[in-house]
Amino acid sequence: MIRYESQRVSLWYIRLALILFVLQVVVGLWLSINYAFTLPQELVNVFPFATAREIHTNLLVAWMLLGFMGGTYFILPLECERDLFSNKIAYVQLVIFAAAAVTAVVGFLFRWTRGKPLLEIPFPMNALIVVAALLFIGNVALTIIKAKVRSPLQWMLLFGVTFLAVMYLFGMPFYRNLNTDYYYWWWVIHLWVEGAWEIVTAAIMAFIIMQVTGVDRKVVEKWLYVETGLFLFTGIVGTGHHYYWIGAPDYWIWWGGIFSALEPLPIVLMVVDTWMHVRERKNAIINPLTWTYIVGLAIYHLVGAGLWGFMHTLPPVNYYTHGSQVTVSHGHLAFFGAYALLNMTIFYFALPRMKNIRRYRDTAGKWGFWIMTVAMFLLGLTFGVAGILQTYLERFLDIGYSTAQLTMMLWFKIAFGVGLVFLCGVLITVWHLFTLQAVEEGTSE
Amino acid sequence: MTGKTARWIFLLGTFSSAAIFLWMTYDFHRQTPRLTHTERLSEEVVAGKRVWHKYNCNDCHTILGFGGYYAPDMTKAYYRLGDNNISSIVKHPEVIYRNSFRKMPQLGVTDPEVKQLIAFLRWTGEIENRHWPPQDEKFVTAFKLREARAKNLNKVDVVMGACGGCHSFENQGRSIGGDFADIAQRITYDHNTLVKFILNPQSVKPTIGMPPQNVTPETAALIADFVLSLKTSKEVRQ
Repeated sequence: MIRYESQRVSLWYIRLALILFVLQVVVGLWLSINYAFTLPQELVNVFPFATAREIHTNLLVAWMLLGFMGGTYFILPLECERDLFSNKIAYVQLVIFAAAAVTAVVGFLFRWTRGKPLLEIPFPMNALIVVAALLFIGNVALTIIKAKVRSPLQWMLLFGVTFLAVMYLFGMPFYRNLNTDYYYWWWVIHLWVEGAWEIVTAAIMAFIIMQVTGVDRKVVEKWLYVETGLFLFTGIVGTGHHYYWIGAPDYWIWWGGIFSALEPLPIVLMVVDTWMHVRERKNAIINPLTWTYIVGLAIYHLVGAGLWGFMHTLPPVNYYTHGSQVTVSHGHLAFFGAYALLNMTIFYFALPRMKNIRRYRDTAGKWGFWIMTVAMFLLGLTFGVAGILQTYLERFLDIGYSTAQLTMMLWFKIAFGVGLVFLCGVLITVWHLFTLQAVEEGTSE
Repeated sequence: MTGKTARWIFLLGTFSSAAIFLWMTYDFHRQTPRLTHTERLSEEVVAGKRVWHKYNCNDCHTILGFGGYYAPDMTKAYYRLGDNNISSIVKHPEVIYRNSFRKMPQLGVTDPEVKQLIAFLRWTGEIENRHWPPQDEKFVTAFKLREARAKNLNKVDVVMGACGGCHSFENQGRSIGGDFADIAQRITYDHNTLVKFILNPQSVKPTIGMPPQNVTPETAALIADFVLSLKTSKEVRQ
């Protein structure tokens, strides 16, 4: 059911993304063990928490980007009504990206690192990532330019991925001054997750919603403009919520605080428009699970990124919660709710089409969805409790770091248990996606 | 709403926010020298920052609140711990945390690197970051009080400044290497042996876990005097 042969390039992007997702969760479980139990010194010497954490976070970034790129390659031919500019570039880019990511992760085990959180990849590997990004953007841009049809969605997608790539460059130099270092670190991290990635999400979701629900293109595009406009309006200056305590001028408290308090607005709009489009659907619901993912993404996005983010970035709250497990709670709910679910939605949209399945059997997928989403929510709550304990004991009552951490160990044992359940959900989902099967038409319904 | 209005919302929203943000970035760079005391950002501090990155400290410790949440924040670590304690912890974590519920890896940081790291942490502590993190503010205040009367510090300040990372005394310091009141009762060393012990514990007692201390002989002498003075006179030794 794919219309253009070059849509198939996304298959390997998706497969690799899913494998890295499983690995990320496994390493995440190891991190919770580090918190929950006392490990022997000999083990800590060879495989410290820091190494495991950089693997966990870099795998996250890698599979997210693979999902975005795969998703873009899948929907772009449909949107441009032509094949990709070059399949070869798409494959070369995938090989470069995957090789750089895998080398980097293996390198971490041997202490080959830049030691800059989330951006630990050493320079030669970074250069390869840049090459892959350039190939990707070039391929996308040329596909759009050579297309006979024009749509705002194409441009939004191109803008999103270019914005994403350009921001990455700000993380690459060595900064002598720590506060300048972290100032630009957030140009990567924040302007990704509350800027470029949101644009990509909005564009891809607009496309998928349009295809799945059959709602009028004009309506979807209007929403897309308003949402991305609001995302960037609140998100760009909203970067300031990371600058409260780094030694930046005082007015950032106000600008960062107010703009980031507005950041949930576009996400609320996203929930509203998803809900409306689903209600006013012109197409019949063929695969309920895909619809579940679409609505689930909108709601989880609002809770994890919107609600948790809102509470945590108010300056008087942030004074106590900054740099604590509260951030971990927010990080997990936001990344999962906004971007892991986005990727899953893309995969559930793309894979059946690639396998020529109109209607897929979804029992396992449903279990996967509910186990993952519920377990991650509980995990977010568990980290949240640990975080509130930490901030209350250590920073409010001022009774010391160790006392707070010791009290939190119980909650990390719980986090490990919940994490195991989450891993089960992930394995079921990934297995389901790898082995999608068609429902024989006529046998049911 | 027409498609055109929607497009204008997008363009206006994006560019107005980007313009504000870029202006504030410009102002950030203008004010950074004042807020971070760049005149004190020496080559040694920069070298220390490279050490900080080299051993990936930041994926366990937060600094300015960013990074891993597995170990204490390092923004004001200099005020909290001081030169000698930082040096002991970084060089001998397996000794300092042998009874701890959480371990720090032995990273093989060299002596010059430790010095650079301390310079970096000292400079970092001085960043004007609106008194964050809250739990370390008391250490900053105490440090500044001591600094203000550096000429006539009392002995407890000096001793706890150097030894408080492991030893405790009257509700100060940490309980890793024991309380000075107890130690004073236990030991039988004279002044010179104790000085030797502080500078290189293994040379006096080969089985001891305490690492060599990174203090001057004068400070070691002062610490020795202090500890010996805590001996309560049960009886006069012959």
